[in-house]
Amino acid sequence: MDPATSRPAVVIDNGTGYTKMGFAGNVEPCFIVPTVVAVNESFLNQSRSSSKANWLAQHSAGVMADLDFFIGDEALARSRSSSTYNLSYPIRHGQVDNWDAMERFWQQCIFNYLRCDPEDHYFLLTESPLTAPESREYTGEIMFETFNVPGLYIAVNSVLALAAGYTTSKCEMTGVVVDVGDGATHVVPVADGYVIGSSIKSVPIAGKDVTLFVQQLMRERGENVPPEDSFEVARKVKETYCYTCSDIVKEYNKHDKEPSKYIKQWRGIKPKTGAPYSCDIGYERFLGPEVFFNPEIYSTEFTTPLPAVIDKCIQSAPIDTRRALYKNIVLSGGSTMFKDFHRRLQRDLKKIVDARVVASEARLGGEIKSQPVEVNVVSHPIQRFAVWFGGSVLASTPEFFAACHTKAEYEEYGASICRTNPVFKGMY
Amino acid sequence: MILLQSHSRFLLQTLLNRLHNLDKTIELDYHWVEFDDVRYHIQVSMKNPHHVLLSVSLPTPPPETVSAFYGGLPFGALEAIKIAYSGIVQILDPPRDGFNLTLRLNLSKLPPDEEYRHAILVKIASVREVVLGAPLRVILKGLGSRTAASNLDRLVALVHRPKESLFLIPQAEKVTVVFPMRFKDSIDIVLATSFLQEFVEARRTAGLSNAPLCLWSPTPPLELKGAPAEALSANAGFVTIVIFPRHVEGKKLDRTVWSLSTFHAYVSYHVKCSEGFMHTRMRRRVESLIQALDRAKPDSENSKKTGHNASFKRLSLKEGRTSRK
Ligand SMILES: Nc1ncnc2c1ncn2[C@@H]1O[C@H](COP(=O)(O)OP(=O)(O)O)[C@@H](O)[C@H]1O
Ligand SMILES: [Mg+2]
Repeated sequence: MDPATSRPAVVIDNGTGYTKMGFAGNVEPCFIVPTVVAVNESFLNQSRSSSKANWLAQHSAGVMADLDFFIGDEALARSRSSSTYNLSYPIRHGQVDNWDAMERFWQQCIFNYLRCDPEDHYFLLTESPLTAPESREYTGEIMFETFNVPGLYIAVNSVLALAAGYTTSKCEMTGVVVDVGDGATHVVPVADGYVIGSSIKSVPIAGKDVTLFVQQLMRERGENVPPEDSFEVARKVKETYCYTCSDIVKEYNKHDKEPSKYIKQWRGIKPKTGAPYSCDIGYERFLGPEVFFNPEIYSTEFTTPLPAVIDKCIQSAPIDTRRALYKNIVLSGGSTMFKDFHRRLQRDLKKIVDARVVASEARLGGEIKSQPVEVNVVSHPIQRFAVWFGGSVLASTPEFFAACHTKAEYEEYGASICRTNPVFKGMY
Repeated sequence: MILLQSHSRFLLQTLLNRLHNLDKTIELDYHWVEFDDVRYHIQVSMKNPHHVLLSVSLPTPPPETVSAFYGGLPFGALEAIKIAYSGIVQILDPPRDGFNLTLRLNLSKLPPDEEYRHAILVKIASVREVVLGAPLRVILKGLGSRTAASNLDRLVALVHRPKESLFLIPQAEKVTVVFPMRFKDSIDIVLATSFLQEFVEARRTAGLSNAPLCLWSPTPPLELKGAPAEALSANAGFVTIVIFPRHVEGKKLDRTVWSLSTFHAYVSYHVKCSEGFMHTRMRRRVESLIQALDRAKPDSENSKKTGHNASFKRLSLKEGRTSRK
């Protein structure tokens, strides 16, 4: 038997904004780091400008640059303190867009963060439901050829988010996953573990937009935040103080009546001078998350509220799955963490559904009473890394190892085997 | 060059996290594995939120090193643990099932000084260095203090990786360390072999004249005479490093011990980096060839092609990359 199957699999969920990595069988990832690489480009440029004949210098410069890079928070810190490092974001809108950076990112995840030998572990990686099969082949190539992993499974992140509910109730592999991450929001219907591809809906508003909106609101009010820090401050403000309200107008009134209760203070230190500063946090606390429910306050291009998108998604799915889909709407991703987000979503969606039922009953002249549609938005404490958690649960079932593509198979058949990854028992 | 740090990043982060949130009672139960099959388990229970139970299991020792294990630990390890963590941790006997060592740490008993606390937690997070490096440290220390050790001139085998040893020949004025280098993958073997040859070559450059002597040979060096036959098979040759007293003076001892005991991981990491580097070069090459092909196309065809060729694998790579710019 392959000794690697006796060790926990490595589970890495590479998100557009954040990467969650750790070992299967645990309830939390070991690390959550920004998906970013800081590369030292000065080596490369130097050698290019000097004489072309000196290939050795050029070669070793390339080698040095190859070793001189950082990922995650370290990368952000490096690029802030020195101009020799350039930031590169390997993933855009859920798709790998720079494979060089991606390969380096994985290198550091494995050797420097998890500190494991990739030859000793099976790997479970994630992809967005819209990922092209070619991209899966590249991932397979890197994993099998650079890292020599003994086995690999590439799972669709929404399916994993559904599987995250596995331990809390009986495993239900039919549902709609609402994944609101940093750079993309996807509404993905899944039936019996299979994604209903034609019904996937995407919303161009996600966590980063909430941050930008909070930043804009604070700037417009003239809050005293150093500009080079304002994005980071806005992000922290968002993560700490924002919440979902039930009604904007009422919420404005509440703030105006009792400012001492609702207005919060932010204290920081100016990065350049080291002087302390403070600023107020007001309406942005509820206006930030409101961009999902009333997008027109933020964007003129996209104005469909998230509950309406979810409804459209379910309405476009096969008719026999719809009731089950309404019944199990699962939240996933960091930007669903706002307080009462699931309540608001459930209420607004229920309104849409009930209005439709009333309309159709009226059309039929009240002769046939239809069964009420149960709408249920599921929220759980691990939402922030539900995808990772689902991966951790699945990769610790015995069926997982059999469902993986192995290095031997890769060597025999080539990278094309990575195009498909079977839904396996254990998902049920 | 990238060197591995001696502490486990995750273990340190977890300990610091726990220390800063001592007032919160949480349950913690985490299993993980590091290179060379060192396994960890950390546990904090609701009942005793200040107590951390840390268990470590070591790589399976090869037969030639089994005799140097005492109570599941390499020789010198128990003493090393006692010295490193005196008064802070308690060694549980027997350890947790499936582990070689279980330590109990009481976080509320740590000294109040912030910096000192941090240093202690770093040391605890470096438990593998303390335990696995212990026998190596005992031998190298003997060299530093020049007291004649009893096992002079005898071949000593120490566990290096699961079922693999490194060998030491301690002498009065130097210690010779021999690593049989093994890799699983055929490309890794080739890359590692040439990396090691370059590594030895680099040692000869002027700036490194104080570094330990370093040799590579495809066949077992004479020093390994008497070693068991299976310990002498190595598909990427043998590296010999000679350590003199100046390499183990004072603070250098810890670093030398760590670098030697993680030598395989160091080479393996660089082999993987080289592969990544070659992939980058290959991607650039494909890209420039495609550009050349694109330029060679007649204009009309050029504009017509872009749409329906999108699924062609190589082109889609290129498109992905240009859209980034
Ligand atoms: N507690 C929180 N409340 C609100 N937003 C949060 C919270 N924690 C994280 N986020 C936001 O969630 C986003 C990251 O979510 P994640 O699911 O990790 O994204 P991705 O998978 O796309 O990288 C970021 O925009 C981050 O600011
Ligand atoms: Mg995600």
